Amino acid sequence: MTDENAWVLQAQQGNDDAFTQLVEAYQKPVYNLCYRMLGEPETAEDAAQETFLRAYQNLHRYDSSRSFGTWILSIAAHYCIDRLRKKKFSVFSMDAEDEDGTPFEVADPASPDPEAESVKKEDRNRLHLLLKDLDATDRAAVIMRYWYDYSEVEIAQSLKLTVSAVKSRLHRSRKALAGMWQEEKSRAHPERRSRESLAF
Amino acid sequence: MNHLPFEEWLLNNNRITLEQQRDLDLHLRTCAYCSALAETGKVLSTAKMVTPAPGFTMRFQARLAERKIAERRRKLWGAALFTLGGLVLLMWMIGPYLASFIASPATWISVVVGWLVFVGTTLFALIDAGAVILRMIPKFLPPFAWLVLLSTFAGVGLLWSVSIWRFVRAPQGV
Repeated sequence: MTDENAWVLQAQQGNDDAFTQLVEAYQKPVYNLCYRMLGEPETAEDAAQETFLRAYQNLHRYDSSRSFGTWILSIAAHYCIDRLRKKKFSVFSMDAEDEDGTPFEVADPASPDPEAESVKKEDRNRLHLLLKDLDATDRAAVIMRYWYDYSEVEIAQSLKLTVSAVKSRLHRSRKALAGMWQEEKSRAHPERRSRESLAF
Repeated sequence: MNHLPFEEWLLNNNRITLEQQRDLDLHLRTCAYCSALAETGKVLSTAKMVTPAPGFTMRFQARLAERKIAERRRKLWGAALFTLGGLVLLMWMIGPYLASFIASPATWISVVVGWLVFVGTTLFALIDAGAVILRMIPKFLPPFAWLVLLSTFAGVGLLWSVSIWRFVRAPQGV
């Protein structure tokens, strides 16, 4: 039996310390999902805390044949989707990632090319901003696919969708993101677009 | 512009041959949409995790403790309101009877005593009737019928005991 399974079992029997171990282990993925979904560090913190509280209250419903990580991320995703549906976020702050050396983003200290790293970071921030224009469920699917490497089957289980629905949502989202990305680039560099070509 | 099959390759992250890669590169030079698709795919594949501010677990523990206190308080208030509501309802229902009992207790006491006497005499009469029937029945029932009857009672009794035992025994495992 792994540590995680033992913690889950002990937590199900009412051991709060065991549940704390689970919080310690899953705080980062849960917080990241909430942050990517909601966009603001304060709201993400609140959503992540609420996710763990909901998990604590519903621990007796957890099916141990499933991965605990998938289960808790599914709670987080559903909570964020509900929250987004209830309240339209008018402001989508990127404060935490705008500044260099932000305490929240895991930086790559071994980067050999700081300039390239900076461009990459800028691109990541731009893409993060574009995520807000996706439908809440599509956003959750994209986050699970690219931030957590979830398979389409796992996403389908987590979001209570069919695998084909996940596929079509992922494709639709990727196309929408590409469209917005293209639009934004041509807005930012209208003269470059006509002369320059991208090489991969 | 026709984006096929390049769009498919980019969306599904398909493994492509060197020749296909060359075709894709050529297409990306002329197609802004597929370039954007490739670029966003690349950015998504290098997506990074953000971490919460330090002390997340401690803040969770504090929040959990608060939630538990609030829950306990809510249950307490619920129980108090339920009890109070029940008492008010009870008083509303028995209020008129209580008032009349306090006004004339002798009448009520005589009614209650009369009712108790009625219940007592009815019970005694039923016992007497039962005894007579029990004395009469054995003369009409053959021994075989007695055997069947007693076996049925024993079987039902056993079934009942086993059912009770299965319901009340401690659960085994989770």
